[in-house]
Amino acid sequence: MPTLKIDNREINVPAGTKVIEAAERLGIMIPRFCFHPALGSVGACRVCAVAFTEGPVKGIQMSCMIDAQDGMVVSTTDAEAVDFRRHVIEFLMLNHPHDCPVCDEGGHCLLQDLTVAGGHGLRRYRGLKRTHINQDLGPLVQHEMNRCIQCYRCSRYYQEFTGYRDLGVMGIGSRVYFGRSAPGMLESPFAGNLIDICPTGVYTDKPSRYIGRRWDYQRQPSLCIHCSLGCNLTASARYRQVVRHEARPNLEVNGHFICDRGRYGYAYASIADRPRQAMAAGTPGPIVDILAGAREAIQQTVEKHGPGSVAVVVSPRSSLETLAVVKEACGQHGWTGPAAAHTNRQALNRNTAVSCLRPELAVSLAADTEAHDVLVIGADPLNEAPMLALSLRQVQRRGGHVIVIDPRGVQLPFDFDHWAVHPSAMGAILQALIQEIGGHRATAPDTPATFDITKLARRLNASPRPVVVCGTDILTPHEIALAGDLARALRRTHKVAGLFYTLAGANAFAAALLHDQPVSTEAVLDRIEDGGVRLLVAVEQDLWREFPDRKRLQAALKRLDHLVVLDYVDSPLNREAGHFIPTQPLYESGGHWINQEGRLQAASPVMAGGEPIEITGGSDHPPRVFDRRIPGDEPLAAWRAVAALAGEDEADPAPQLKTALADFHPAVNLSTPEATGQRIDLEAIAHDLVESGPAPEPAEDDAPADAVVLLLVDWTFGTEPLSAMAPALTRMEAAPVARLHPDEIARLGLAEGRPVTVSLNGNRLTVPVQADPRMAAGVMAVPRHHLLEWQVFGETRVIVKRSQLKAESE
Amino acid sequence: MAKLTTQDLEVIKSAQKARLAFRERTYLLICGGTGCHATGSIRVKDALLAAIEDKGLGDTVQVIETGCNGFCAMGPLLVVHPGDIFYQKLTVEDMPELVESHLINGKPVERLLYKDPVSKARIAAQTKIPFFAHQMPRALRNKGLINPESIDEYIGRDGYIGAAKALFDMTPQQIIEEMKISGMRGRGGAGFPTGVKWDFASKSAGAVKYVLCNADEGDPGAFMDRSILEADPHAVLEGMIIAAKAIDAHKGYIYARTEYPLAIKRLGIAIDQAKGYGLLGDNILGSALSFDIEIYQGAGAFVCGEETALMRSIEGKRGMPRPRPPFPAHKGLWEKPTILNNVETLANVPQIMVKGGAWYAGVGTQTSKGTKVFALSGDVNNIGLVEVPMGTPLRTIIYDIGGGIPNKRKFKAVQLGGPSGGCIPESHLDTPVDYEAIAKVGAIMGSGGAIVMDEKTCMVDMARFFMEFIQDESCGKCTPCREGTRRQLQILEKICEGRGEPDDIDILVELSQTIRETALCGLGQTGPNPVLSALRYFRDEFEAHIHEKRCPAKRCVALLRFEVEPDACTRCGMCFRACPADAIVWEKKEVARIDKEKCIKCLTCYDKCRFDAIF
Ligand SMILES: Cc1cc2nc3c(=O)[nH]c(=O)nc-3n(C[C@H](O)[C@H](O)[C@H](O)COP(=O)(O)O)c2cc1C
Ligand code: SF4
Ligand code: SF4
Ligand code: SF4
Ligand code: SF4
Ligand code: FES
Ligand code: FES
Repeated sequence: MPTLKIDNREINVPAGTKVIEAAERLGIMIPRFCFHPALGSVGACRVCAVAFTEGPVKGIQMSCMIDAQDGMVVSTTDAEAVDFRRHVIEFLMLNHPHDCPVCDEGGHCLLQDLTVAGGHGLRRYRGLKRTHINQDLGPLVQHEMNRCIQCYRCSRYYQEFTGYRDLGVMGIGSRVYFGRSAPGMLESPFAGNLIDICPTGVYTDKPSRYIGRRWDYQRQPSLCIHCSLGCNLTASARYRQVVRHEARPNLEVNGHFICDRGRYGYAYASIADRPRQAMAAGTPGPIVDILAGAREAIQQTVEKHGPGSVAVVVSPRSSLETLAVVKEACGQHGWTGPAAAHTNRQALNRNTAVSCLRPELAVSLAADTEAHDVLVIGADPLNEAPMLALSLRQVQRRGGHVIVIDPRGVQLPFDFDHWAVHPSAMGAILQALIQEIGGHRATAPDTPATFDITKLARRLNASPRPVVVCGTDILTPHEIALAGDLARALRRTHKVAGLFYTLAGANAFAAALLHDQPVSTEAVLDRIEDGGVRLLVAVEQDLWREFPDRKRLQAALKRLDHLVVLDYVDSPLNREAGHFIPTQPLYESGGHWINQEGRLQAASPVMAGGEPIEITGGSDHPPRVFDRRIPGDEPLAAWRAVAALAGEDEADPAPQLKTALADFHPAVNLSTPEATGQRIDLEAIAHDLVESGPAPEPAEDDAPADAVVLLLVDWTFGTEPLSAMAPALTRMEAAPVARLHPDEIARLGLAEGRPVTVSLNGNRLTVPVQADPRMAAGVMAVPRHHLLEWQVFGETRVIVKRSQLKAESE
Repeated sequence: MAKLTTQDLEVIKSAQKARLAFRERTYLLICGGTGCHATGSIRVKDALLAAIEDKGLGDTVQVIETGCNGFCAMGPLLVVHPGDIFYQKLTVEDMPELVESHLINGKPVERLLYKDPVSKARIAAQTKIPFFAHQMPRALRNKGLINPESIDEYIGRDGYIGAAKALFDMTPQQIIEEMKISGMRGRGGAGFPTGVKWDFASKSAGAVKYVLCNADEGDPGAFMDRSILEADPHAVLEGMIIAAKAIDAHKGYIYARTEYPLAIKRLGIAIDQAKGYGLLGDNILGSALSFDIEIYQGAGAFVCGEETALMRSIEGKRGMPRPRPPFPAHKGLWEKPTILNNVETLANVPQIMVKGGAWYAGVGTQTSKGTKVFALSGDVNNIGLVEVPMGTPLRTIIYDIGGGIPNKRKFKAVQLGGPSGGCIPESHLDTPVDYEAIAKVGAIMGSGGAIVMDEKTCMVDMARFFMEFIQDESCGKCTPCREGTRRQLQILEKICEGRGEPDDIDILVELSQTIRETALCGLGQTGPNPVLSALRYFRDEFEAHIHEKRCPAKRCVALLRFEVEPDACTRCGMCFRACPADAIVWEKKEVARIDKEKCIKCLTCYDKCRFDAIF
């Protein structure tokens, strides 16, 4: 722990800390362009020069290149150092355009700041500036190359950090150019971070171009709810519209970055067809009246058919506040539910994962990057939880090793081992691995010889820091529990072995804490069908988009006496509702979420809500129509609406929320502010759910020769329902296809590029076939794409007989 | 080929005795270096072979193609042994006569011999020619003597004896000690003591270490390393083997630019031969050392000669330098301990092992030992490759070896160290070849490029040229070099174009100092040197350009009027005859006049006029 003096103040820092970071700890921001905490030092820009006056290093040196050492005395204000930095800034400004007034970076531009701070107020240079041609990099990132100061952050980030190669540096000398070899869409789903990382306005946020300066925005810390990782971000709003997300550094979760799904997925909160009007049977009315009407319908149903005849489904994306109030309401009134998963398998998967996540095993996304060996089971990181892929990339960069056991053609931006095995073989492999790790020889039937379990077990056993990552989308509870056992087995030989599950839904972890025995929408539909449930309340759960059997859903809805829908997205479901109550997305409501490792995180409300001025004014500003209230300000936070449905008329819902949160689960403690940002008390979660739950499903009849397993899966873009509404992301989406191994295509008599129709129990799904040699045999993967009516088979994992597949001619 | 033992080396060596002592036959050593290739040596060689065949001399005469002989200005050239007879500027047509007269009748062909420019006498023996007489070949000891594609001939000249000694009779520490005693300093430019560098790397912990050879040679006007590789590739391999033993490395790379196809070809052949003999690969000569060498072809960026950039380039990354520390001796190629040495440095190593460090240090100055190879070029009569003992005055190199300045012009300056170095004017020509002495007068020893400039050279234009090179070759990583050199170039261009402003010199100096102090790597740190040294010795030329809009050397086209001064014109008509555009109007006994409509501003007339009458 070296101790050094910077500007006459002493500081003690861990060995390996650079002087520039040590200064930062003292609150001294040494200028920097090329240095970035996530990318490290390269010593390129030369703007971080400081004077070392005593100690092991002497003279003017780059503070980003020098490790803090004992006895160093550093001056950041030394005249020579200041002069040095002034020259560097002047050099950079030689070619920098006089663009600030029209530059989207203006107002949060590091170059602007340092130019002013460096005292370079007047330009001496009168000559021509070098110019470049900009490139169209796709819908997300705007390119303005003349503003580049050649700090190399972008190429280092893009190529070294994320592992993609299509953007980088070209040319030498003063001709260096950062971009692609030819204009075109950036391939990395992490490309948006270029905007945050570029210290100037070369890469700016395209969708929010010319909308405002940063100081114009309402900005608040927020969270991404487009997958279960809970990446931290800063949301900006202007004129009642969410306009931009930026990554918010959280070194325990997402580091400095977020994925593009998270960065651009916000549009749903402000689009024109977002429902803002409460309705009773399609007729608009004041929200209080509609709430009262809905409450009355509930009371009548309860009176007629008993409390169990009212059921609630809620979204695993809803805030903890909403989940808690829903849980409290169901508990208090004896309503059925709440259901917070679609199918029984999915509900069990989630709860199994949560119950297996023992405190000593849980690791964070950030801690993942420190693993030496990561075994990924039944997860497709890039598609299901994109930032996980970026974490794993860091594992590989540090010399670690990633092995993925998954039937899909998993792709990652780095070299890894992929065991493409049939879903039905996964359990046996895991069992064999556990045996081997315990020192017993074992084999797994149906595992190709190339997948050497003994070797893998040896590798994991020898690893200083192994982590097991397990998905919950395509697996069964049995395998999910085995993944936990595997981590536990490793823990016996390792002090540090980690377990990391990904879940379905940003608040799926909290949803798992709703009940010991999870309830699924599937089970609720059973009750509707047998007449037990007569009224359904759907809280931010767009069953129409997300429930995997639309026909069954529609039939069930018809059987209901009444449907109450609370939501902030437009859906045909809303139009079926007897009462529709508009709710607020997190930008308006704020709230808490628990990510897949059990970390409790908060999002602040960013704005008050109301119809964006862009819509009310037809893009004209300022508004020409004046009113006492903001148009479209009716939506309520879902928890408030639920409280109103469940509580007394006119009652203040705040105390209700407080009790609901306090009663939610012993593991979740919101009473101290420090709890936010920390992992909840995993110890307080029952870890025997798996055993007490229903016995694991029998393994599917060993991939019969005449069948394939159809998996309906997540894709980075196009499947997650909220982000799929973002216009900026639609160009990023690939068209939906059914991916199969080429041999499988031949075996099934299908043809690449031609559609295949899957018919099962009278339901049909038609989708073009695409060959993917990385897929396992006997598997067909189709995305839950918003352009595809995939909600036909009641499950996202089904067995399809050969006879149920038909090759279409066109 | 069978793997050799040390004894086998001796056997091969004695088998080569007759050939190398030029006994039993007549040996015709024809230069196959790049310079002579360019002037047609291959065609000459073919004609020579045909003439020999024709006369049925095949059994008594042997033609050997060597690497660069050194005296490139005189190519294509041929040396006949016994007798050491030097023939120059040969043509295909000369061959029958040469064979008839010299080989059959024993009479050297007078007209093809070297002619002394002063005494006008023909000199037959190579060693008597002044160009060679003042030299001391050590790194170049085999040049022009052996066939670079024959490992046996190399062994015949004590080749691999040094390696054998190092492998069997010396510990790594003894090798390093010997290098330290030799006083060898890196010939790549920086002059870092080689023994010390090896010592660092040998003390670095690690099972994997690398020995690299820097054959990037990017300075304009430099061709020393290329010539060594073309003439004596095994010397470099042997040097690397010895270095490998010293630091315990098992893998070596030679980083050579693709623009050196002949050098790369000969290196490839040499590596194959050495592998065949077990001089590379596992257990070299049966010793414990296993070491392999691979050639890595660079695309020819100047900055890739810088050590850290070179290593990135071998790693397949963009060739950009990175700050030191960490030094390559600790974290070099692929983050493993690495030494990088220049071609010439390595070519000297075998002899140091054979004859001892003290022998090597026997010549030279207090701080600079041994010899140094220079590539002499520019406005000098004897363009070529020279190797002189350290301490030799620059004047000796330029006048005695180089034969002075052609066309009776005056010497102006010699640029040492290329774009990283500086110019040395007449007043400092007695400076000895010595790292410190040369630095004192504002230049650097550099890797050996020596560009001679005569009075017709504009020093502002020269500074502009080198700055253009530097800004073009800057890797673009660090701000001062990337932006600063471009700014300097803009100012120099402006001055050359007659748009110079009074404070330009001050700005140039300020920029130079900033770049020197703040650039990341040697390229930027030394990039302003040519400007600073030109300003040091020829400030008046800059001032003439800026204040008087006048180019004293009459090189800067924008400042010339393309007119003839009638009083100075002797009406000789030289300009008229030389003009390629027929733009000069001249009649006998008339003053010449330039038709500006036709003139293409090629400056030929300025060169041809002996009376400085065109302005
Ligand atoms: C811009 C730049 C270019 C260089 N080019 C060469 C080169 O072409 N050949 C070379 O041997 N050294 C070159 N060097 C020096 C090398 O970095 C290094 O110091 C040298 O190869 C070490 O070998 P030595 O100790 O035997 O001289 C260059 C240095 C710089 C800064
Ligand atoms: S990048 Fe920064 S300094 Fe440059 S124009 Fe934009 S706001 Fe101004
Ligand atoms: S584009 Fe931005 S991040 Fe990339 S080098 Fe230029 S200034 Fe740096
Ligand atoms: S990885 Fe998930 S949580 Fe993170 S930004 Fe992407 S979608 Fe959002
Ligand atoms: S000094 Fe020039 S060549 Fe060296 S790192 Fe900087 S930009 Fe690159
Ligand atoms: S921040 Fe240190 S050199 Fe750029
Ligand atoms: S190339 Fe023939 S003497 Fe140099």
